[in-house]
Amino acid sequence: MQKSLYREFYKFTHKKLTWFAPLLLLAFMGAFIAYPTARLLAMLTYDSGDVITVILVIVGSTMFSMEFQNHAILTLLYRSPRKLDVYFAKLITIFVYDIILHVIAIIFTLIVASTIKPVSWSAVYRYHQPLIVNMFSLVGVDLVTSMLIISLIFLISTIINSNAIVVTLSLAIVFFGEGISADLMNNNSPLASLAKWNPFNMYMATLQYGNYPEYHATTLLTNPQIITGALAYIMIFFVAGYLVFRKKRF
Amino acid sequence: MLKISHINTFIGRKKIIKDVSFQANPGSIVGLIGPNGAGKTTIMKTILGLTKFTGNISVEDKSVTENDHAALTRVGALIEHPAIYPFLTGLENLKLYSLDETDMNHVFSLLKMDSYINTKSKDYSMGMKQKLGIAIALLNKPQLIILDEPMNGLDIEATILIRQIIKQYAAQGSAFLISSHVLGELQKVMTNVLLITEGKIIVDQPIDEFNRVSHKQYRVLTEDMPTTEKLFAANQVPVTKSDEYLLIPRELSYQVQDLLYDHHIRLIELSPQGLNFEQTIVSLLEQQRRQNHEK
Repeated sequence: MQKSLYREFYKFTHKKLTWFAPLLLLAFMGAFIAYPTARLLAMLTYDSGDVITVILVIVGSTMFSMEFQNHAILTLLYRSPRKLDVYFAKLITIFVYDIILHVIAIIFTLIVASTIKPVSWSAVYRYHQPLIVNMFSLVGVDLVTSMLIISLIFLISTIINSNAIVVTLSLAIVFFGEGISADLMNNNSPLASLAKWNPFNMYMATLQYGNYPEYHATTLLTNPQIITGALAYIMIFFVAGYLVFRKKRF
Repeated sequence: MLKISHINTFIGRKKIIKDVSFQANPGSIVGLIGPNGAGKTTIMKTILGLTKFTGNISVEDKSVTENDHAALTRVGALIEHPAIYPFLTGLENLKLYSLDETDMNHVFSLLKMDSYINTKSKDYSMGMKQKLGIAIALLNKPQLIILDEPMNGLDIEATILIRQIIKQYAAQGSAFLISSHVLGELQKVMTNVLLITEGKIIVDQPIDEFNRVSHKQYRVLTEDMPTTEKLFAANQVPVTKSDEYLLIPRELSYQVQDLLYDHHIRLIELSPQGLNFEQTIVSLLEQQRRQNHEK
């Protein structure tokens, strides 16, 4: 496992995109500074969630597909004691990257909120909690949502070898999933109460935490329910992805 | 070193490798030969635990399974294409798998890669990529080295160099399993012949024995060659044409003499014809195809 992790981090840190993406994140966050809703933006860490999602989809999808395409996966697999090591090492690497991107977003927000756009972190904002608590809670929820996206990318990547298809499909699910979910639940069918547990609904966890009244009306789930659902789907997608990876012919 | 007994490999429901058994001892260079689609690469992937299989594979007496590659710690391989990352330099590609920096430096120096080892591998020529793939396989002093078409894309100097390196590693006790379509090149290094067709091994012999037994044929020259050819065809005598002669399997020489005598065709010459390595392989594959067809 240690060797697999070393290899994944080594490759990851030698990719230009790994270093370029945080700069992109900062640029996008910077674009929101001029907006007047300082407290909401501080809570949303300057809307970093969407950019982080796009970055993770692009970076995450290349982790498998590039190796399938250039056959490097063969060497990686036989040089690792188990297939699980390779799969898990990739997961840990992208999870650590996810955390780093969120930490960058927090640092940026703290700097902006204490200089250009001052906000009172101790002021009570959403959920009768101080703004600082709101922000850290939202980052926590966004980590869960982003892990859900990663697990989906891993599942799709193990099924489809083409990087372009994986990226397109993942982005489509992430950004159009909300609409699909709403359609599923607005059909007034007897299954509507079950439909609220569909995986697309769980991608709205971050949005719902940031704007509960609006999104709760769509998801029909409470915050703890949506987070529990997201965690459950993370497990399902990861296990399904690993099973496909294990059975895949290289 | 490498022991394979009764392995069957499946792709979906199709059996690709059929009851294959062989072994590679320390210092041996086993040449895996066969036509396209015979199963050479599949055998190699099976040894590396990359396909579903039944039977037993062991490396240094440790079992390999599809999900347990612990026995492969001292195995190096180049399968199908060099497994390299284009955004890394040659050295960085080696560092990914190297456990010993001194050994790593020795390997790329041995392969004469010093001048471009720090260049991004996306800028490598096909031959340079191939050498890097071979270098990865040679890392960490492997006891078993599996090379699938190692001479692909190599120029003559690199081919000679790789041949020397293979012999050098074998002399130090490493076992090799090498597949190649360039039979002449393989013949120069291998100590054992493993001929495979349609997933089955049809020859597993030390090269000396293979050359000695030589699978000789007899050449036949008669006064009436067109009639002779028809007669052989009618009596299912497998023949290969060679200039004005017909080549027949050695074991049929008596039967052929009787046949010609019975049909009053005068025999001018019936003499042993030594085949070169390539011709022998082709002839064996043809024989096998005929046998399979008859079945």
